[in-house]
Amino acid sequence: MPNHALRDLRVVEYAEMVSGPMCGKMFADMGAEVIKVERPGRGDEARGHPPYPGDVPHPEKSGFFLYLNTSKKSLTLDPATLGGAEIFKRLIADADILIENMPPGHLANIGLGYEILHALNPRLIVTSITPFGQTGPYRDWKGTDLIEWAMSLTGFNTPTLVDDVAKENPLRAPGHAAEMMGATNAAAAAMMALFHRDLTGEGEWVDAPCWQATVNTSKLEMAAYSYVGIPFSRQRANVQVGLEPLPCRDGYIYTLWAADAHWRALKTLLGNPPELANEIFDTHAGRHQNDDIMRTLIREELAKHDMEHLVTEGQRLGLTIGPVHTVAQAAHNSHLRARGAFVEIDHPVAGRFEFPRSLVQMSGTPPHSTRAPLLGEHNVEILGRLGYTSEDLQGLRAAGAI
Amino acid sequence: MQRLPLEGIRVADFSWIINGPQIAQWLATMGAEVIKIESQVYIDIGRTNPAGMADRVAGVNRSGFYHALNYGKKAITLNMGNPKGRDLAHEIVRRSDFVLECFPGPTAEKLGLTYAEMKKLKSDIIMISVSLLGKTGLEPSRWVGWGPMACCFVGMFDAQGYPGGPPRQTGGTWPDYAIASSVVFHALAALRHRNRTGEGQWIDASMGETVIGQMHEWFTDYFMNGRDRRQWGNRDDVMAPHNTYRCKGDDHWIAIAVANQSEWEALRRVMGNPSWSDDAKFADQLSRWTSRDELDVHIAAWTRDQDHLELAARLQAAGVAAGPVLDSAELHNNPHLWEWGYWWKMDHHEVGERILPGMPVKLSGAPQLNYSYPPDLGEHNREVFGGLLGLSDAEIKLLIEEKVIY
Repeated sequence: MPNHALRDLRVVEYAEMVSGPMCGKMFADMGAEVIKVERPGRGDEARGHPPYPGDVPHPEKSGFFLYLNTSKKSLTLDPATLGGAEIFKRLIADADILIENMPPGHLANIGLGYEILHALNPRLIVTSITPFGQTGPYRDWKGTDLIEWAMSLTGFNTPTLVDDVAKENPLRAPGHAAEMMGATNAAAAAMMALFHRDLTGEGEWVDAPCWQATVNTSKLEMAAYSYVGIPFSRQRANVQVGLEPLPCRDGYIYTLWAADAHWRALKTLLGNPPELANEIFDTHAGRHQNDDIMRTLIREELAKHDMEHLVTEGQRLGLTIGPVHTVAQAAHNSHLRARGAFVEIDHPVAGRFEFPRSLVQMSGTPPHSTRAPLLGEHNVEILGRLGYTSEDLQGLRAAGAI
Repeated sequence: MQRLPLEGIRVADFSWIINGPQIAQWLATMGAEVIKIESQVYIDIGRTNPAGMADRVAGVNRSGFYHALNYGKKAITLNMGNPKGRDLAHEIVRRSDFVLECFPGPTAEKLGLTYAEMKKLKSDIIMISVSLLGKTGLEPSRWVGWGPMACCFVGMFDAQGYPGGPPRQTGGTWPDYAIASSVVFHALAALRHRNRTGEGQWIDASMGETVIGQMHEWFTDYFMNGRDRRQWGNRDDVMAPHNTYRCKGDDHWIAIAVANQSEWEALRRVMGNPSWSDDAKFADQLSRWTSRDELDVHIAAWTRDQDHLELAARLQAAGVAAGPVLDSAELHNNPHLWEWGYWWKMDHHEVGERILPGMPVKLSGAPQLNYSYPPDLGEHNREVFGGLLGLSDAEIKLLIEEKVIY
């Protein structure tokens, strides 16, 4: 039995898709009891999101849902119904944290606004994760991962080193990076609020927007503008140190040759070809000025070598160099395997599959994932604990509350 | 009086550049006393990178790179290459709750910044190590590298790019920032655990593993279906249209994401119900998703002559998820970011009034986080060595002369 750091915490999660559920997962994997409130019937929208084993959709088999909801309990409940709101309030009464990612104002509209929840349980920490936050002119804007990502400089800067702006439109990162950033920020802020509560005795409201979370990941690019007056540009010609995956014989590598020492190491790695001995490349300024020629020559040389040789030998020479793996290569990588970066989880409906294990590793109280719940799997357990009889449950079911 | 969540918590911060400082900034702005241990021997390159120098005038206290990542902290200078310097660092660790470092494995070992060593100094210390690919495991645990290399290693750059094209690089140094709040969450869980049990522990954070978690569906698809997904463009697994489209001007864009039928109808209305949109191949979500490339051509033709800011506002008013791609000036002047409270203005004794990014979260019980201005190099030497460690002025003077405090 893993030693769970947060086993004394009770968390209610009223959230769908990525941001709220990921935040809830972080608490659940650390041992908190996380009760996931799911829409009766359909459940979390993520249950309808691929991948599925064999690409056959099934609400209990979505790999997307199964990863984001490990270690939780599922309660089907519609807090917008009268009976549902009553159950929600009883859940809240002894919870430490509520995680929600509904549009701003939704909870207030169904009579469960922050003031009401706070009056019900003054020690409750309400963690709201939204695209744009609880205040400001974009408060009610619709956001998705693409929108939140594209509106940041990190998004504008993806991909880097653009040659033709007309053809290379800004790209979203693989996965749901902006939503994940909002989720981990919310989890960190909710933990802060717990320590705050230890000092003040009071719960509070955490406002964790995904857009601001993503904007905050280009601090250097923003400072270059506000301090130096350099407006951001994604065009290759305007970038001082150009980094990008470069092809070698059997794949791609990624390296940096900004410093003179790196440049010398790179030349050694490539066997000191005479083409690179040209003294115009010997200084940083010279390399920048002759970027086109130099890059072409480097590509020609790299094409003669294998990825593994370049990386192993390059690192030995002190070069900052790494392999560009595909997802499958990463999934089989011996180092990641040795670290235990993936964990096998068995599920009664979906089957047994591997998943990414945890965002960080800990020696004393490591995050530990158990399988995601079936839809409404814990209805009887949780409602029974709250004092509802099996007769009550029939009535609630008939009213669409659970 | 307002209290901050982490008052009374002390951090011995040996980190530099981006990921460690970003972690420490979370802790500092939330009230922890972060003592950033720097040295003129190995200066934080955030302080010296010419691309960050206010008004292009060089100076160790003038860099926007450093300022944006280090406000709220205290800064001291200590030469860890000198045994006396190391002893003083150990004295700070003995008085701290957290130790934070983000060196490559061999460097951390050389400096004695390992959990085994730190635990000897203070048995319940919580040590946070951040690195490219973790500090245990095989040879890559000893590599030098920085954020983007972690993306390469775990498949992110291979997945980043235009369908059928080469791997491309995600903007900025994404993993450095992505790992920060993950680490903060788990570090605070470790602090709760310590407060209850008296046990410290080691947090061994790998940027690569954080990124793997963030793109979990790519790995899950591989584990479930053996599918090695490559460059994916802006495709979504469900939504269409779902892309960035060029607007009026040289390099202006709008992102549009349509999740359901009512949003599609709203988009059609804003477009003026063009006849092409009546085609059966755009009638429902699945058919739009199947015909997404053709759909994109139509939409891009429509956005090309429109203003990205104005069009985004119009689409949002109609209930369509849309957002302008913003440049530096547009971000710094953005009314939402100001009103929400993201940006803050700092009046700094060397660089004057500047706009800095604030914390991307708000706590209703702590409306003013610790935004004390970014420390000058060695600014808190006297306070820390005299106050915290109790050295006399004469001792401090000698240590400065000996280039221990340096």
